[in-house]
Amino acid sequence: MTALAHRPGPPPALDTTAWAVGAPRLLAGLERVQRLDLAGHRAVHGPIRGTDRDLLLSHLDVAGVAGRGGAGFPLAAKIRALAGGPAHIVVNGTESEPASRKDRVLLLRTPHLVLDGALAVAASVRARDVTVAVHSEDIAATVRAAIAERSDAHRVSVRVIVGGFVSGEARAVVRALRGGPALPTGRRTPPTADGVLLANAETLAQVAVLLRLGPYRFAETGTRDEPGTTLISVGGAVGRPGVIEIPFGTPLGIVLAAVGSAEPQAIVVGGYHGGWHAPNPQLRLSRAGLATAGGTLGAGVVLVVGRDTCAIGELARVADWLAAESAGQCGPCVFGLPALARDVAALVAGRRRAVASTLGHARAVDGRGACAHPDGAARFVTSAVHLLRDEANRHLKARSCGRPVLGHLPLGTR
Amino acid sequence: MTTVRGDARIEIDWTRCDGHGLCHALLPARIGRDEWGFPIIWKPTVTTAETAEVRRAVAACPALALRLDSTQIR
Repeated sequence: MTALAHRPGPPPALDTTAWAVGAPRLLAGLERVQRLDLAGHRAVHGPIRGTDRDLLLSHLDVAGVAGRGGAGFPLAAKIRALAGGPAHIVVNGTESEPASRKDRVLLLRTPHLVLDGALAVAASVRARDVTVAVHSEDIAATVRAAIAERSDAHRVSVRVIVGGFVSGEARAVVRALRGGPALPTGRRTPPTADGVLLANAETLAQVAVLLRLGPYRFAETGTRDEPGTTLISVGGAVGRPGVIEIPFGTPLGIVLAAVGSAEPQAIVVGGYHGGWHAPNPQLRLSRAGLATAGGTLGAGVVLVVGRDTCAIGELARVADWLAAESAGQCGPCVFGLPALARDVAALVAGRRRAVASTLGHARAVDGRGACAHPDGAARFVTSAVHLLRDEANRHLKARSCGRPVLGHLPLGTR
Repeated sequence: MTTVRGDARIEIDWTRCDGHGLCHALLPARIGRDEWGFPIIWKPTVTTAETAEVRRAVAACPALALRLDSTQIR
């Protein structure tokens, strides 16, 4: 197995390539320019209608806007759950999933759409302030530049939160903003109980689109239950990786053709808390479509595992990474994820009983942590073991499948 | 296991639990241990009649990780 460092030195510059399958909404106007400044933004998107809480909630209910950070929690439910008293809006732009780029692409290229949505939600719940949480200084700088362009953003500030995979979890972000460590909390209390409404950057950009289109035009694309578009970050063994805006329910085959992927061995959907799937071109990219296939859309990461790489070796690299990304707070995660990674290494080495041990440890960590990291890691590894049964047998018989590990599943692009 | 209204639930704060094992010792029918010594809750719901014995285990946890949660938000 090719040895690769978990976190290679300086992060590579972010590839901000983005395009739409069908008519762009979030990405409108970006065909011609790298970044929409305020004048460009207004020329492309037009004025935004003001809103009060009731109108916003009715729009969100009709359009069924669910969070785009991975959990898919309805934004309207968060607004309703806000405790009385002063409210604070947090835009989660930390995007900790290694292969996800869509939130940073939005903040870098069309930041005013995200700010429009955040300010509209802030106004509707009379929030005191808006904080944009990001993971790096370059993203913070571009958001600050956008704030400086506007006359209505004096209550918006930007904060850089340093941390790994689990630091982007909602309660970890809120904890870091309050001066604590960027770690999930032991109690599973939602931030709204403390007056904090945290939403993913894309979710708020969708709000800006929704307020301009109204719920009925918003629902002219997508599926009946999941109207509108969504951003997916496509990578792995593809000719043209990028962030793509698709109508909900777009078949996988159309996306694979758009990124120039020839006959994948497998695909990973939902990132490293998501799952492995056969590359069925009919698979519908929506939350419901992925649920039908036993998976999750998560934050929209779609990765192609090519035929020329050792799929189980790819799994092993990610299993090692998942173990290393444990925050180290919860026993079952601290001990269980390394055990799971050793199981997968045993699969690569073709040891007997490695499959049973892998599935057993995946069950052992599921649901037993302060955050969903062990659950997600278990889901990811379990789905791979089920999909890659024939591959595991080849390793069992010959100790190898004869292919190198090419690193189609990226790690640590932060 | 159906949750009857009014039932409480055993919760573990995993950031506090160090796997001392007192909960398992006091409630062996309800709480097991995994291969690393951390608790596995077989039966999380607690009826009113069972509250007293569970409270004793909660009080015995040296890490203050075991909780009896009576708010039914799940």
